[in-house]
Amino acid sequence: MPFREINSKMVEAVVSPGRKMYSQRGAMLAYRGDVSFTPNIQGGQGGLGSMIGRRVADEAAPLMTVEGSGTVMFGHGGHHIQVIDLAGDTLCVEADRLLAFDGTLQQGTLFLGSQGGVMGMVRGQVTGQGLFTTTLKGHGAVAVMAHGGVIELPITPGRPVHVDPQAYVAHHGDVANKLSTALGWRDMVGRGSGEAFQLELSGNGAVYVQASEEKL
Amino acid sequence: MFRLQGSKTLAVDLTGDAVKAKNGSMVAYDGRMAFKKMSGGGEGLRGMVTRRLTGEQMVMMEVKGQGTCYFADRASEINLVSLHSDTLYVEASNLLVTDAGLRTGTSFTGLRGGANGNGLFTTTVEGTGRAAILSDGSAVALRVAPQYPLNVDPGAYIAHQGRLQQHFRSGVNFRTFMGEGSGESFQIRFEGDGLVYVQPSERNTLGGDV
Repeated sequence: MPFREINSKMVEAVVSPGRKMYSQRGAMLAYRGDVSFTPNIQGGQGGLGSMIGRRVADEAAPLMTVEGSGTVMFGHGGHHIQVIDLAGDTLCVEADRLLAFDGTLQQGTLFLGSQGGVMGMVRGQVTGQGLFTTTLKGHGAVAVMAHGGVIELPITPGRPVHVDPQAYVAHHGDVANKLSTALGWRDMVGRGSGEAFQLELSGNGAVYVQASEEKL
Repeated sequence: MFRLQGSKTLAVDLTGDAVKAKNGSMVAYDGRMAFKKMSGGGEGLRGMVTRRLTGEQMVMMEVKGQGTCYFADRASEINLVSLHSDTLYVEASNLLVTDAGLRTGTSFTGLRGGANGNGLFTTTVEGTGRAAILSDGSAVALRVAPQYPLNVDPGAYIAHQGRLQQHFRSGVNFRTFMGEGSGESFQIRFEGDGLVYVQPSERNTLGGDV
């Protein structure tokens, strides 16, 4: 457990030699010990290939590498921080919501079109996620930012969870998501309930939802 | 049936029944839910016309189904209010969810509305059941008894319930006109028996500037 929550808006992480972290550039608030921060032009792990991949996918959040030995505090913009522990599963999150994560996690980009084809791409556009999302895989912890507090909703087989796309933060586990529409004639005549589009998440895992419908 | 998940998310368990909620405030649900906008806040044609005329617009939706529905609005704090054949006066923008059995309507607030920037009318919620109201920062409920009247800053007032009379007070004196006002020139004074909800933050009000 490398992250310790100081309060709802700050986390503290321990770095030691051979145990580095990645964090969003400029998110360091304070540190103790001998720690160096190196801007990461590639925007994360992997070589040139993944860098180009991320640039093309517009998921190139400016990251920095945090190395050395000491403790570092992270926080950004007064946003609430949720620490998510991963035990071998995959977390899907938008790159701009990532605050910091363990260097042991494998970072990648996921093309939404690969999950549900054209509908996946439509979903990305409707939810404002774009066509790509960032994935983190392996064993370790991730700190993600959200506007307002975060609640974790478990997803179990046979009990799908529907989420407002604007309030969706991240999800992990073996989860399939699709955009479900409840468009009716009311929406066409401008009398909709404001809940015409929902993300339907089914499978086995958990989804994180923020208490607000605002983007970061 | 209403549960708070943290202080900013409200979970409502539904078993085939319905609640009224602010339009677009659902963040997640499991089970089956149907969302239907209630034209004119579900008060029929008369309510619709009244709301248009008074400018106390309230866009609500009816949420019906089986399962758990989660509501939140712009990371505002949520406060639960119980009503026992009682009336809650609240600004339409501060109302998040009410039981379907509660009646909503509009009432005239008098001079107070002009000073707290809410307009001259406010929303009433009447009956027996529960309601969830929004506040900027966690609200305190202050009791008013006949021997203990309460003065509230109009910008920090969010709601009240019970048998209360309200008066508008102004402490405007010559200093105010000299531009040396304390910023507390206007207050609402509550007398009677009931509860007043106050938030730890002040809206921009006409009265707050002087």
